[in-house]
Amino acid sequence: MTTVIREKPFSLAKSRRVIQWLAVIGTFVLGLRHIMPGEASRGGSFDSFCAFGGIETLLPYLSTGHLLKSTNLLNFSVLIATLGVSLVAGRAFCGWLCGLGALQDFIAEWTRKLLGERHHIRGKQSKAILPLRLPAAVDRPLRYAKYFVLVIILFASLYTAFPPLREFCPVRAVFSLKMTPLLWLALGIFLAGSILVERFWCKYLCPLGATLAIFNKISPVRLVTDTNHCNNCGRCDIECSMGIADVPINLDHPECVRCMECLNTCARDGSLTIQIRNKENVT
Amino acid sequence: MKINPRYYPAIIIAAYVIFLLLGILLGFGPERGGEGHGNSALIQIAFATMETLA
Repeated sequence: MTTVIREKPFSLAKSRRVIQWLAVIGTFVLGLRHIMPGEASRGGSFDSFCAFGGIETLLPYLSTGHLLKSTNLLNFSVLIATLGVSLVAGRAFCGWLCGLGALQDFIAEWTRKLLGERHHIRGKQSKAILPLRLPAAVDRPLRYAKYFVLVIILFASLYTAFPPLREFCPVRAVFSLKMTPLLWLALGIFLAGSILVERFWCKYLCPLGATLAIFNKISPVRLVTDTNHCNNCGRCDIECSMGIADVPINLDHPECVRCMECLNTCARDGSLTIQIRNKENVT
Repeated sequence: MKINPRYYPAIIIAAYVIFLLLGILLGFGPERGGEGHGNSALIQIAFATMETLA
């Protein structure tokens, strides 16, 4: 009698969910660590673990040799790590490693469940009324807001003592556990926005996402559509949390966070594959 | 070249860790005792080189 050992099917979605939970818990632990006494003796403030803090403090550092208050050199290492991931795999940091991005995915999922969607069927339009998908006429111009936010912050960083986003930053509002009235406001807007629109912060306001968007065009690890297999069923469009239209022909879209939900949802084997960019598969 | 989706999470995490360590090795490490206003060794060398060239 022979024993057949079946390999457990691999789920990219489950792996992502585990990594996202670890990102949320890790960021929460960082916040917890900084409400304990003796914060300064343990490697700097909560802000010093922020990749965007590295961008905020870069221009002042290069022009004056001094870092903005509440940041330190570690910000540059975290920034280098974030840029490194993006250089390899596009905006995968946003889709896999960002605690705030993960929280938005969870909020969208919980909202759908609360509003009546008991079991989510991949590739099928949700019956829940929230989160909404804004009409293209509203959605498209709003997407440019994050680039505007980035430019304003870079400009302001030359004239401020603290990182300009610090007082409004939703990461601090959610995870730092040191609240101010402005942070309560930021938290309220973040929660309401995330309930109303999936990945609200990433789509419209995140300046780090705006910085990383360019990497989708140059990263070697990317998704590729096999047009011989794809039948344009639209299942991937429904599942895209960033609301990208016509996913199979927009796989290098600057808004794509490389969450691979399209790949998970695709019902036709071989239609979407992860590949290393070479001369043949550059579109 | 196709990549097995199984390896995709490992690629992301490995890239993050490698570049984080690279940053720390370049001198952008955590600072003890509060906010940092010092320069990393790399930046000090860069500034010194620029001053010498100027």
